[in-house]
Amino acid sequence: MPFSSFDTAALARSLAQLAGSGEDWVDAFFERTEEIELPPDGQGPGFSLRREEGFAVRLVRERRAFLASRDGIDGRSFSEALRQVARALPAASVPEPDLPMAPWPGAPGPPEAPEVVDFAGLLERAIRAHHTAFPLRLTVRRHQRWLQVATPRLVPGPESERYYSLDAEIPGGRWGALLPQLGRAEAEAAAGHLVELFRARTALPFSPRTGPILLGPAAVAVLLHEAVAHALEADLLALSGKPDSAIGVALGSPLLSVLDDPGAAPESVRRATDDEGLPVCRRWLLRNGVVEQPLADAAWSRSATTLLPGAGRRAGRHDLPMPRSHHLELLAGTTSEGALFDGAEGGLWLPQVRRGTLDPRSGELELRFPFARRIYKGEPAETLGPCAIHGRLADLLGKATAVGDVRRSEGAGWCAKGGQKLPVWATTPGLLLAEVEVTR
Amino acid sequence: MSERVRSGVNPAAVEATLKALLARGLPEVEVLAKRGRSRRFALDGERTASSYAEERGWAVRAGDRRGSLFACGTGDPSPEGPWPPAYPPALRLPTPQPPPPWKEPSDFEVPLIGEREGLALLLGIARELTAELPRGRLLAATLEDGSSEGRITSSKGLSATFRGRLAALRLEAIGPGLSRPAVVELSEREARRFNPKALARKLADRLAVGAAPGLTDGEERSGNLLLAPAVAARLLAGLAPLFFGPRTDGEISAILGGAVRIGSEALTLIDDGRFPGGVLESPIDGEGTPTREVGIVERGNFLGPVLSPGQARGANPTGAAGSRAQISGIARRASFRDLPTPGPSHLYIRPDPKVAVGSLLGSVAIGTYLIDALGPARFDFATGSFVLPVCGLAVENGKATAPIGHAWLSGEISDLLRGIAAVGRDLAFLPLDGMIGSPTLLVHGLVLRGR
Repeated sequence: MPFSSFDTAALARSLAQLAGSGEDWVDAFFERTEEIELPPDGQGPGFSLRREEGFAVRLVRERRAFLASRDGIDGRSFSEALRQVARALPAASVPEPDLPMAPWPGAPGPPEAPEVVDFAGLLERAIRAHHTAFPLRLTVRRHQRWLQVATPRLVPGPESERYYSLDAEIPGGRWGALLPQLGRAEAEAAAGHLVELFRARTALPFSPRTGPILLGPAAVAVLLHEAVAHALEADLLALSGKPDSAIGVALGSPLLSVLDDPGAAPESVRRATDDEGLPVCRRWLLRNGVVEQPLADAAWSRSATTLLPGAGRRAGRHDLPMPRSHHLELLAGTTSEGALFDGAEGGLWLPQVRRGTLDPRSGELELRFPFARRIYKGEPAETLGPCAIHGRLADLLGKATAVGDVRRSEGAGWCAKGGQKLPVWATTPGLLLAEVEVTR
Repeated sequence: MSERVRSGVNPAAVEATLKALLARGLPEVEVLAKRGRSRRFALDGERTASSYAEERGWAVRAGDRRGSLFACGTGDPSPEGPWPPAYPPALRLPTPQPPPPWKEPSDFEVPLIGEREGLALLLGIARELTAELPRGRLLAATLEDGSSEGRITSSKGLSATFRGRLAALRLEAIGPGLSRPAVVELSEREARRFNPKALARKLADRLAVGAAPGLTDGEERSGNLLLAPAVAARLLAGLAPLFFGPRTDGEISAILGGAVRIGSEALTLIDDGRFPGGVLESPIDGEGTPTREVGIVERGNFLGPVLSPGQARGANPTGAAGSRAQISGIARRASFRDLPTPGPSHLYIRPDPKVAVGSLLGSVAIGTYLIDALGPARFDFATGSFVLPVCGLAVENGKATAPIGHAWLSGEISDLLRGIAAVGRDLAFLPLDGMIGSPTLLVHGLVLRGR
């Protein structure tokens, strides 16, 4: 870990000077990030390496937050930032803590990323195995992040995340994915999605209809992220009232039990603490369709004491944390995949989502799909063109009539709430919804 | 003044890095170093936040005939790298050209807005909004004021410094009878130029109109349309990709119904990286190429797309966009993390200084004055059509008669450009993909619809 030589006691002492009273929240956030990118053939430059280090000092006093952030990590800049946040602290009272950073992985040479370099070839072979070929512009990225949070009373262990992102452009449209690992299995799964999207380009135009829809695990991941996670973030709940007043409200079908559990995320992105250094928990967002524990960070949990902290996330040092989900889970139901398809007979199979949006004030949700497949005799049949569902999230979640018995781990996608881009993960089964209006 | 003070970066580190990469056998090397600082204020209900950030970073592009690499990081560049391996494609950096004379604007020197001043500005907008519209409320507001400077050096002999100044404001407000907030996003070079009273009035107008009933499903309104700058700029932002980068005459014809004559006499379209007083005003672009005023459409005639030097080398010179292509410094680089990407800087429809908005409004016998867009425009270049959610006012004999809370402006792109009958003098820019500007436009031949 890059922060293992930090003088954490000196750090905590420095931060303690900022806290004017026991009610003040003070923390320091250190991060190191590395991104390796291999763009599509012909699009330069050939190989990109982005490495950053930096920190932020934050003070939350009553309803006011102050943040000072810097690129680079050293004791002098840290003391300077501390003084900036305090705004009244005499210079002499802030000793410079010792903050030596460990060398970068692979130093002094460049990082090795054979899995990134090899992936395009694996994907091409996997696509050929479907007896098809099409122009493909693929960008592969490896993201790594190391974090250390310190507070006056607690210096939790460091955290790290490592994951991959794919961004593909084909004649049928664009497709992207977040993956905890990159290898042959991921190439085969990606090829399946891309071939399906490619074949959908000649689909019949979609004509609006109302009926059952069956969402695949990847689509359920986006639905849960928009309709449950965003809807239950304390800051967004506060737009229409007191955030804790949502507790006990029936938001969806009793079949839906949804959790946010960063500790159960895929191993390479698993977290024990959030970006404020507080322990994460297995948070029941919905238990049998009823709101149990909204997502809150330290600041919101202090103003609404029934809200548990541990869901504060930030895209980087220059941003303030806010309540966000990390790894959503929909508990498995008892319906087999075959029975799900039988239950959606005559309806639509929607395996992929192009985009999801929620208006937190009105509760209006929109999911746009790149294509749909009609379900005939318990199987996906002909492909139809792009379509969408709109509606109030509670109405939509109330229409769940069956939950699949097999769950899959998916990257739910990038979330850009408040301009802060973060990856979101999910473990979900398929979900059957009854009588949903689907439009073009 | 020393180089380190002026550009804020360490020139010795930049030079040493350049030499180290040349010594590795990579003949094409570009080193950029940049520093910046910003203050950010946020108002969210009863909560406030103020931040101060200092950024310091560098970026290197290097390569030869076989491959290239990009690396960037925080701090100063180091000759030791580490440098990732070079992969295809090759890299060819632009040959430096001396930029025409340019006087650095004096407001680059103005200090960033202070903490009390910044929060007072946001609270002032909230107060003025309540005064304008008693049941109106500012839900959230963010203000960012920043400055940056840096240096770009290349193995081709480029050695240039640059500076920038940018303030961005985002307001979200709600009013009586509205379920969705009104959002206003603006940029200026300096935060103190935002006027709380004028902004509050703009928000109040927008909230009052937005609360009115919209056109119903299947309902249509024809007649003349007056597009306020906020509406016209959204449409122009959607069209911008047509005018930047290699395009053939065939592509342009297919979308706009002609390769040369694409708009009315009233339409003159310009991109200008050194637009005086512009938020992105700079003598050079993100890879050190001089910027200039480029006419893209002159009195309705398409003069050719704008290409960066790199795009011009890759473009097919016989494809007609290529044959008429205009090369300029249009590579944008938002931060040291970003690669230079060609695109508009200040793209705008030339205003007519003789035409007041009032006289345009007075010329509308029956029609609609569209005052704002409710979301981004959706353009379909395959079918040559567009759609934009808007709100505005019904107009009869030059007078507003009733608000229209929501409608869809839709039609063919070629009809939009050919239908511009007159332009006003009130040029205003919006921060979209670059700064996109337009005066008020009087347009014939488009239809406003309900859902």
